[in-house]
Amino acid sequence: MKKNIFGKSLYTIGLTMICIIMFVPIYYLVVTTFKSPEEAAVSPLGLPKALDFSNYAKALEAMDYLQALKNNLIITVVAVILLVFFATMAAYVIARSQKKIFKVMYSIFLVGLIIPFQIAIVPLYQIISGLNLMDTHLGVILVNVFCINLPLSIFLLRGFISTVPIELEEAAFMDGCGTFKTFWVIIFPLLKPIVSTVIILNTLAIWNDFLTPLLFLQSPEKAVLLQQVYRNVGPFSTDWTSFFPMLVMSTLPLVIFYIFMQKRVIEGVVAGSVKG
Amino acid sequence: MYNKNRQRVFMLMILPTFIGFFILYIVPTAMSFFYSLTNWSVYNADLQFVGLDNFRMLFEDSKTLAGIKNTIIYALITLVVQNAIAIILAVFLDKKSKSANFVKSLVFLPAVLSILVVGFLFQYIMTSADYGLLNNIIQFFGGDPVNWLGDKDIALYSVIATQVWQWSGWLMVIYIANLKSIDSALYEAADIDGASKMKKFFKITLPLLYPAASFNILLSLINGMKVFDVILAMTQGGPGYATETIMTTLIREGFNSGRNAYASALGVVFFIAVFILSRIVITFLNKWERKLS
Repeated sequence: MKKNIFGKSLYTIGLTMICIIMFVPIYYLVVTTFKSPEEAAVSPLGLPKALDFSNYAKALEAMDYLQALKNNLIITVVAVILLVFFATMAAYVIARSQKKIFKVMYSIFLVGLIIPFQIAIVPLYQIISGLNLMDTHLGVILVNVFCINLPLSIFLLRGFISTVPIELEEAAFMDGCGTFKTFWVIIFPLLKPIVSTVIILNTLAIWNDFLTPLLFLQSPEKAVLLQQVYRNVGPFSTDWTSFFPMLVMSTLPLVIFYIFMQKRVIEGVVAGSVKG
Repeated sequence: MYNKNRQRVFMLMILPTFIGFFILYIVPTAMSFFYSLTNWSVYNADLQFVGLDNFRMLFEDSKTLAGIKNTIIYALITLVVQNAIAIILAVFLDKKSKSANFVKSLVFLPAVLSILVVGFLFQYIMTSADYGLLNNIIQFFGGDPVNWLGDKDIALYSVIATQVWQWSGWLMVIYIANLKSIDSALYEAADIDGASKMKKFFKITLPLLYPAASFNILLSLINGMKVFDVILAMTQGGPGYATETIMTTLIREGFNSGRNAYASALGVVFFIAVFILSRIVITFLNKWERKLS
């Protein structure tokens, strides 16, 4: 009995410790956004004296927030839709056809799981400028879709499609439904769980991707949120409490997404880890 | 007839994806290997084969070597620490209580933030300027301030700590899912034998976490080798070369200095390093798996 109480309080202390370690940096980030540098230096962890949003106003303007947010949304949404469109079809063909050529294509796709695309960024830069895609959102989208995130998506989708019974398609085919239509009408709706995993993993990866926009977007009006944050560190080095709202605002959309979809996000991460 | 037409539609469904992947991934990867053997740079219009000269230069350049060494240290330490902490957290938080659930979601939260943002935040927390939060806390408890990011012997480990903070939750949820699949009858049998908690952990839990561990370990290794954003945010490779990595060197040489062939050669070295390290790790994992059966 005594031992049990001891164990329980030890557990509570442990939980509290974990909470403090995880929470303090985030708390510090948020409270600092309402302070002046002087106030933040004097009481870094105290609650702000007033709920003053002037730092946010300054940050909004300096990082051209609405424009950058729009750029982020365009890149992420279009890239994720294209990924789902192309990867599900490719994975379906690989899962369903016995032909050797598709097996060969699959093993080539899988090379992308092992070799990081980063080794190829110098030639990739050349190819993107050769295709006249430099400094365009389309360039960043295509790199994110075809170069970075395709292999994992195909890998996950193929594993799932192999478990969908083939009889369903055969029945649809009897009814005169073509292969392409059968896929989109009969099979695609059945892929909902794994497609949601693919959407979640890719949304996180593409929203938070910094390297690709850094290399391929130069015009300030095309920049994504993280580029704006990066651009403003120097100019705001003395007014650093006005820099903190930029950190908050560039991640806020995903944090809100996480708060509302928490269960789905965690399920997605777990489903993405299952070996095929 | 059915089959022939079907194969043709199949080809139409996969070909655009394959062509996209071929142009934007396979071709540049192959070009990197090709360019690594040339003297291509922005100052050098006519391309010539120079054999392994780039590699020779690379292994004589102490800054580049420091980058390779730091990357490997970074990847191996994050691999071990992150997975150890994630397993402890998973065992600790795999309970059906409200508080455990809350802590789980809090621990996962940083994984949603971008690495660059976490890097900037911790750069301010760890700064040795007098508003640096971490040193303020240490001094509050009577300790001496530490130059977390300015001391060349510490800086790399400070960066590692921030990434462990950010990503342990991601690995933890994968370990928790694995824990749920372990048959509880095993623990009941161990209880009857009077096994201690420690013994149960090392004899039942840890071995059966193999599936999650093999995935997580490879994931941390490959992500660790790619480290870039957090360095850019926290130290820019400094002090000296103390936190230079393969990626910071690659970007500097390839884009800022215009030494394209040199950067391509570094890309090839990067590939070889990832390949060898993952081979070693997979060999270890296979040994573990064989022990299980």
